Amino acid sequence: MSKQQMTEMLKGTLEGVVLATVAVQPAYGYEITARLREQGFADIVEGTVYALLIRIEQRGFVDVEKVPSEKGPPRKVYSLNAAGSEYLDEFWKTWSFLSQRIEQLHHHTETTNDKGQ
Amino acid sequence: MAAKWIETITGSLEQKKQYKQDKARMEALPEPYATAAKAVHRYLMYSGGITDGDTLTRMFTDLADLWERAATDGTPVRDIVGDNPVEFAEAFTEAYGGTQWIDKERARLNKAIENAEEGEQKGAPPPWRLTWPSACGD
Repeated sequence: MSKQQMTEMLKGTLEGVVLATVAVQPAYGYEITARLREQGFADIVEGTVYALLIRIEQRGFVDVEKVPSEKGPPRKVYSLNAAGSEYLDEFWKTWSFLSQRIEQLHHHTETTNDKGQ
Repeated sequence: MAAKWIETITGSLEQKKQYKQDKARMEALPEPYATAAKAVHRYLMYSGGITDGDTLTRMFTDLADLWERAATDGTPVRDIVGDNPVEFAEAFTEAYGGTQWIDKERARLNKAIENAEEGEQKGAPPPWRLTWPSACGD
Protein backbone atom coordinates (compact mmCIF):
# COMPACT_ATOMS: atom_id res chain seq x y z
CA MET A 1 0.00 0.00 0.00
CA SER A 2 1.42 3.38 -0.97
CA LYS A 3 1.49 5.98 1.76
CA GLN A 4 1.42 8.80 -0.76
CA GLN A 5 -1.70 7.39 -2.40
CA MET A 6 -3.34 6.95 0.96
CA THR A 7 -2.70 10.60 1.85
CA GLU A 8 -4.08 11.79 -1.47
CA MET A 9 -7.23 9.70 -1.22
CA LEU A 10 -7.86 10.57 2.39
CA LYS A 11 -7.68 14.28 1.68
CA GLY A 12 -11.20 14.57 0.36
CA THR A 13 -12.75 12.40 3.01
CA LEU A 14 -11.02 13.56 6.19
CA GLU A 15 -13.54 16.28 6.88
CA GLY A 16 -16.33 13.70 7.00
CA VAL A 17 -14.13 11.33 8.97
CA VAL A 18 -13.50 13.97 11.63
CA LEU A 19 -17.18 14.91 11.78
CA ALA A 20 -18.10 11.26 12.17
CA THR A 21 -15.66 10.98 15.08
CA VAL A 22 -17.08 14.06 16.79
CA ALA A 23 -20.61 12.73 16.21
CA VAL A 24 -19.88 9.76 18.45
CA GLN A 25 -18.89 11.97 21.35
CA PRO A 26 -17.74 15.59 21.76
CA ALA A 27 -13.98 15.76 21.97
CA TYR A 28 -10.95 18.04 21.73
CA GLY A 29 -8.29 17.88 19.03
CA TYR A 30 -5.89 15.53 20.74
CA GLU A 31 -8.65 13.05 21.61
CA ILE A 32 -9.95 13.07 18.05
CA THR A 33 -6.47 12.35 16.66
CA ALA A 34 -5.99 9.55 19.19
CA ARG A 35 -9.37 8.01 18.35
CA LEU A 36 -8.67 8.10 14.64
CA ARG A 37 -5.31 6.42 15.18
CA GLU A 38 -7.03 3.70 17.18
CA GLN A 39 -9.41 3.22 14.27
CA GLY A 40 -6.47 2.47 12.00
CA PHE A 41 -5.78 5.92 10.53
CA ALA A 42 -2.22 5.45 11.73
CA ASP A 43 -0.54 8.29 9.86
CA ILE A 44 -2.88 11.07 10.87
CA VAL A 45 -1.14 13.90 12.68
CA GLU A 46 -2.54 16.38 15.13
CA GLY A 47 -1.87 19.42 12.98
CA THR A 48 -3.98 18.06 10.14
CA VAL A 49 -6.86 17.32 12.47
CA TYR A 50 -6.49 20.77 14.02
CA ALA A 51 -6.70 22.44 10.60
CA LEU A 52 -9.77 20.38 9.76
CA LEU A 53 -11.42 21.29 13.04
CA ILE A 54 -10.85 24.94 12.28
CA ARG A 55 -12.41 24.47 8.88
CA ILE A 56 -15.51 22.67 10.12
CA GLU A 57 -15.84 25.30 12.82
CA GLN A 58 -15.69 28.06 10.18
CA ARG A 59 -18.32 26.24 8.14
CA GLY A 60 -20.59 26.08 11.17
CA PHE A 61 -20.77 22.27 11.50
CA VAL A 62 -19.63 22.09 15.12
CA ASP A 63 -20.22 23.93 18.35
CA VAL A 64 -17.12 24.82 20.31
CA GLU A 65 -16.77 25.07 24.04
CA LYS A 66 -13.59 26.33 25.65
CA VAL A 67 -12.75 24.21 28.66
CA PRO A 68 -10.00 25.43 30.99
CA SER A 69 -7.16 22.96 31.41
CA GLU A 70 -4.71 22.55 34.29
CA LYS A 71 -1.79 23.55 32.15
CA GLY A 72 -1.60 25.54 28.95
CA PRO A 73 -4.34 27.30 26.98
CA PRO A 74 -7.97 26.20 27.36
CA ARG A 75 -8.97 23.17 25.32
CA LYS A 76 -11.57 23.58 22.62
CA VAL A 77 -14.17 20.84 22.84
CA TYR A 78 -16.02 20.22 19.59
CA SER A 79 -19.51 18.79 19.30
CA LEU A 80 -21.61 18.15 16.21
CA ASN A 81 -24.56 20.52 15.71
CA ALA A 82 -27.64 20.26 13.48
CA ALA A 83 -25.92 21.68 10.39
CA GLY A 84 -23.02 19.30 10.95
CA SER A 85 -25.21 16.27 11.25
CA GLU A 86 -27.00 17.23 8.03
CA TYR A 87 -23.65 17.55 6.32
CA LEU A 88 -22.56 14.20 7.72
CA ASP A 89 -25.67 12.48 6.31
CA GLU A 90 -24.84 13.96 2.94
CA PHE A 91 -21.23 12.80 3.32
CA TRP A 92 -22.26 9.18 3.91
CA LYS A 93 -24.60 9.26 0.91
CA THR A 94 -21.82 10.60 -1.30
CA TRP A 95 -19.37 8.10 0.11
CA SER A 96 -21.71 5.15 -0.54
CA PHE A 97 -22.26 6.28 -4.08
CA LEU A 98 -18.57 6.82 -4.77
CA SER A 99 -17.39 3.60 -3.18
CA GLN A 100 -20.03 1.63 -5.09
CA ARG A 101 -18.96 3.17 -8.39
CA ILE A 102 -15.30 2.52 -7.75
CA GLU A 103 -15.92 -1.03 -6.57
CA GLN A 104 -17.98 -1.66 -9.68
CA LEU A 105 -15.18 -0.32 -11.85
CA HIS A 106 -12.73 -2.53 -10.02
CA HIS A 107 -14.94 -5.57 -10.50
CA HIS A 108 -15.55 -4.69 -14.14
CA THR A 109 -11.87 -4.29 -15.02
CA GLU A 110 -10.98 -7.50 -13.22
CA THR A 111 -13.58 -9.60 -15.01
CA THR A 112 -12.61 -8.05 -18.35
CA ASN A 113 -8.95 -8.87 -17.69
CA ASP A 114 -9.89 -12.43 -16.75
CA LYS A 115 -11.79 -12.91 -19.98
CA GLY A 116 -8.89 -11.50 -21.95
CA GLN A 117 -6.42 -14.01 -20.56
CA MET B 1 -13.97 59.11 14.97
CA ALA B 2 -10.33 60.13 15.05
CA ALA B 3 -9.33 56.58 15.93
CA LYS B 4 -11.28 55.29 12.98
CA TRP B 5 -9.62 57.73 10.66
CA ILE B 6 -6.20 56.69 11.86
CA GLU B 7 -7.06 53.03 11.49
CA THR B 8 -7.94 53.44 7.84
CA ILE B 9 -4.32 54.43 7.38
CA THR B 10 -2.57 52.07 9.79
CA GLY B 11 -4.90 49.09 9.79
CA SER B 12 -6.79 47.97 12.86
CA LEU B 13 -4.92 48.70 16.07
CA GLU B 14 -6.77 45.90 17.83
CA GLN B 15 -5.56 43.44 15.21
CA LYS B 16 -2.02 44.68 15.49
CA LYS B 17 -2.08 44.23 19.25
CA GLN B 18 -3.42 40.70 18.91
CA TYR B 19 -0.83 39.87 16.26
CA LYS B 20 2.02 41.08 18.46
CA GLN B 21 0.65 39.14 21.39
CA ASP B 22 0.44 35.91 19.40
CA LYS B 23 3.92 36.41 17.97
CA ALA B 24 5.25 36.87 21.51
CA ARG B 25 3.47 33.70 22.66
CA MET B 26 5.21 31.72 19.92
CA GLU B 27 8.59 33.23 20.72
CA ALA B 28 8.16 32.37 24.38
CA LEU B 29 7.63 28.67 23.70
CA PRO B 30 10.26 26.19 24.85
CA GLU B 31 12.39 24.56 22.17
CA PRO B 32 11.87 22.87 19.79
CA TYR B 33 8.37 24.31 19.67
CA ALA B 34 9.43 27.96 19.28
CA THR B 35 11.53 27.12 16.21
CA ALA B 36 8.76 25.03 14.67
CA ALA B 37 6.06 27.60 15.39
CA LYS B 38 8.12 30.48 14.00
CA ALA B 39 8.95 28.49 10.86
CA VAL B 40 5.27 27.73 10.18
CA HIS B 41 4.37 31.34 10.96
CA ARG B 42 6.94 32.58 8.46
CA TYR B 43 5.69 30.21 5.78
CA LEU B 44 2.09 31.32 6.30
CA MET B 45 3.10 34.94 5.96
CA TYR B 46 4.74 34.24 2.60
CA SER B 47 2.50 31.65 1.09
CA GLY B 48 -0.92 32.09 2.62
CA GLY B 49 -1.87 34.94 0.38
CA ILE B 50 -4.60 35.87 2.82
CA THR B 51 -5.11 39.58 2.71
CA ASP B 52 -7.85 40.37 5.20
CA GLY B 53 -6.63 41.26 8.63
CA ASP B 54 -9.39 39.53 10.57
CA THR B 55 -8.63 36.14 9.08
CA LEU B 56 -4.87 36.60 9.44
CA THR B 57 -5.23 37.55 13.09
CA ARG B 58 -7.48 34.59 13.84
CA MET B 59 -5.11 32.27 12.01
CA PHE B 60 -2.11 33.33 14.07
CA THR B 61 -4.01 33.09 17.33
CA ASP B 62 -4.99 29.52 16.45
CA LEU B 63 -1.42 28.76 15.46
CA ALA B 64 -0.15 30.01 18.82
CA ASP B 65 -2.84 27.90 20.57
CA LEU B 66 -1.80 24.81 18.65
CA TRP B 67 1.88 25.12 19.55
CA GLU B 68 1.27 26.09 23.15
CA ARG B 69 -0.91 23.03 23.49
CA ALA B 70 1.75 20.85 21.87
CA ALA B 71 4.43 22.24 24.19
CA THR B 72 2.25 21.65 27.25
CA ASP B 73 1.40 18.08 26.24
CA GLY B 74 4.94 17.37 25.04
CA THR B 75 3.65 16.22 21.65
CA PRO B 76 6.56 15.56 19.28
CA VAL B 77 6.90 18.21 16.58
CA ARG B 78 6.48 15.58 13.83
CA ASP B 79 3.20 14.50 15.35
CA ILE B 80 1.93 18.01 14.78
CA VAL B 81 3.14 18.76 11.27
CA GLY B 82 3.50 15.23 9.86
CA ASP B 83 5.89 14.08 7.13
CA ASN B 84 5.16 17.05 4.95
CA PRO B 85 5.26 20.40 6.79
CA VAL B 86 4.42 22.30 3.59
CA GLU B 87 1.25 20.31 3.12
CA PHE B 88 0.34 20.92 6.74
CA ALA B 89 0.88 24.67 6.40
CA GLU B 90 -1.22 24.77 3.25
CA ALA B 91 -4.08 22.75 4.73
CA PHE B 92 -3.94 25.10 7.70
CA THR B 93 -4.38 28.23 5.54
CA GLU B 94 -7.05 26.64 3.39
CA ALA B 95 -9.12 26.00 6.48
CA TYR B 96 -9.77 29.73 6.82
CA GLY B 97 -11.04 30.42 3.35
CA GLY B 98 -10.30 34.12 3.90
CA THR B 99 -9.78 36.67 1.18
CA GLN B 100 -6.67 35.86 -0.80
CA TRP B 101 -4.81 38.03 -3.28
CA ILE B 102 -5.45 35.33 -5.91
CA ASP B 103 -9.24 35.75 -5.53
CA LYS B 104 -9.24 38.69 -7.95
CA GLU B 105 -7.52 36.60 -10.60
CA ARG B 106 -9.87 33.68 -9.95
CA ALA B 107 -12.87 35.94 -10.54
CA ARG B 108 -11.22 37.33 -13.66
CA LEU B 109 -10.64 33.85 -15.11
CA ASN B 110 -14.24 32.81 -14.41
CA LYS B 111 -15.55 35.96 -16.03
CA ALA B 112 -13.33 35.58 -19.08
CA ILE B 113 -14.51 32.01 -19.66
CA GLU B 114 -18.12 33.11 -19.22
CA ASN B 115 -17.61 35.81 -21.84
CA ALA B 116 -15.97 33.36 -24.18
CA GLU B 117 -18.86 30.97 -23.72
CA GLU B 118 -21.37 33.69 -24.53
CA GLY B 119 -19.63 34.38 -27.83
CA GLU B 120 -19.76 30.68 -28.56
CA GLN B 121 -23.52 30.47 -28.07
CA LYS B 122 -24.42 33.63 -29.92
CA GLY B 123 -22.37 33.76 -33.05
CA ALA B 124 -21.40 31.44 -35.83
CA PRO B 125 -18.45 29.15 -35.20
CA PRO B 126 -15.24 31.14 -35.09
CA PRO B 127 -13.61 31.55 -38.51
CA TRP B 128 -10.60 29.38 -37.70
CA ARG B 129 -12.87 26.41 -37.34
CA LEU B 130 -13.97 26.79 -40.95
CA THR B 131 -10.61 27.53 -42.43
CA TRP B 132 -8.32 25.40 -40.33
CA PRO B 133 -8.96 21.99 -41.90
CA SER B 134 -8.57 23.26 -45.44
CA ALA B 135 -5.51 25.22 -44.48
CA CYS B 136 -4.02 21.93 -43.31
CA GLY B 137 -4.84 20.29 -46.57
CA ASP B 138 -7.54 17.85 -45.53
